[in-house]
Amino acid sequence: MLECIELTKSFGGLKAIDRVSVAFEPKKVTALIGPNGAGKTTLFHLISGALRPDSGEVWYQGQRIDGLPPWRIAQKGIGRLFQDVRVFDKLTVLDNVRVAFRKQTGENPLWAIFRRYRVSQEEQTFTEEARRWLTFVGLIELENTLAEDLSYGQQKLLAIARLLAAGADVFLLDEPTAGVNPEMVRSLLTLIRHLPEEGKTVVVIEHNMNVVMEIADWCFFMDEGQIVAFGLPDEVLSDRTVKAAYLGI
Amino acid sequence: MNYLWHILVMINIYIILALSLNLVAGYTGLLSLCHAAFYGIGAYATTLLMMKADWGFFPSLFIAILLTAALSLIIAVPSLRFKGDYFVLATLGFQIIIFVILYNWVSLTRGPYGIPGIPIPKVCGIEMSTVFRYFLFSGVIASICGLLLWMLKASPFGRVLKAIREDEIAAAALGKNVPLLKMAAFTIAAAFAAVPGALFAGYMRYIDPTSFTLMESVFVISILIIGGAGSFIGPIVGAVFMVILPEALRFLHIPDAIAANMRQIIYGLLLIILMRYRPQGLMGEYEFQ
Repeated sequence: MLECIELTKSFGGLKAIDRVSVAFEPKKVTALIGPNGAGKTTLFHLISGALRPDSGEVWYQGQRIDGLPPWRIAQKGIGRLFQDVRVFDKLTVLDNVRVAFRKQTGENPLWAIFRRYRVSQEEQTFTEEARRWLTFVGLIELENTLAEDLSYGQQKLLAIARLLAAGADVFLLDEPTAGVNPEMVRSLLTLIRHLPEEGKTVVVIEHNMNVVMEIADWCFFMDEGQIVAFGLPDEVLSDRTVKAAYLGI
Repeated sequence: MNYLWHILVMINIYIILALSLNLVAGYTGLLSLCHAAFYGIGAYATTLLMMKADWGFFPSLFIAILLTAALSLIIAVPSLRFKGDYFVLATLGFQIIIFVILYNWVSLTRGPYGIPGIPIPKVCGIEMSTVFRYFLFSGVIASICGLLLWMLKASPFGRVLKAIREDEIAAAALGKNVPLLKMAAFTIAAAFAAVPGALFAGYMRYIDPTSFTLMESVFVISILIIGGAGSFIGPIVGAVFMVILPEALRFLHIPDAIAANMRQIIYGLLLIILMRYRPQGLMGEYEFQ
């Protein structure tokens, strides 16, 4: 279970996150909605270690993780899909996924030279596994293409494959469908919907309410750095406060 | 014929320098301006151990490599906290400090007078006393260094360095210990730079600090930029090109005084043309930002 307790983060005089306490249900898709500037992405930054909270705590699987560097938090199984994707442009699609695997013997430069046999055995396993994830996200045909040559939507699929390879158990997805063509949105949504079946917990920031209704099991509404409403997606979206603050109704 | 072997010895030396810098600049994307400092530390440490402790070439080289790696950690730990331009400036500072130490620690390095009479390296009792022998000797050492660096490049270590170069935030978000990996790349590159230092000292039989200035660091970076950073063959092509170019000018019968300036102008022009039309270099895949 991923849990935030009384998290607060200010930038100058602005309270971007104001005493937010929230727990994300394991193996479910939770949507985080709210107007621009509500603090959704900042909350992701705090959970993933990109920012340190001014106060409050983040707990994951019984361990306190706030204050740890981002790579340590990622190693604990919290993966993040960035709003601007951040694939490794000059690496092939296959290498983007292969690089993501944890505990690679060959990442130690000494072992890369002196334990060549073991490293090459591992490489075979990682390559097979990477291909499995690329098949899962539908990019296997493009394994030798440079990541920079993929479409934006394909890059998002690749970033998700990378998180799967990294062994992430929690997926923090920041606007996964933004800027993606409708056909690719369909592929992305199918993929996200399947993640809980793989035992993954998904938290998704999303502005498209149809998407929220389609994929989310649970929904939090944020405004001005606070959680204003939560519940089932249709309950939250029909909440009067939400309608007033977000939908302008 | 000795002239040809001499050029090839220098090519071997610069190939090791450029390939090792490629690990940190081409693969990891960290532009380091202090590679000549590590080259110099390698040269001086090997020389002093050979002359003052009366050690053989290889034991001296081994200790010089360890010493250079240890000293590189001193700069790596604080510098790698800096990003982009600030890292470049920190390495510039280190380069200048090392030059000043080599120049002013007269009791140890003889400062501007340099150290003459460096013993010739021996392999199995055979002195590398002719230019041809030294070419073979440096060629074997360059090949071993090249092989080791190629193994690193082709390994998961090389791949994760490239990932860090492309986007270190994304690499950290995948659980990669970015600071440690960057430090490893920097230290290994420094350790390899000690080898051509020792080769240079044993070949010239004389060293002084002017061989290890900031301009030398810039020269090695130019090799990398012209040959192509991030590829394995790029630095080799760059080293061959940059060492042969001034020699080629000799055959144009340009007076020496003008030829030296011409060389600088040609290097400058080449860099400008490449930056405009082929910023990744002749063979490379990575463009310095």
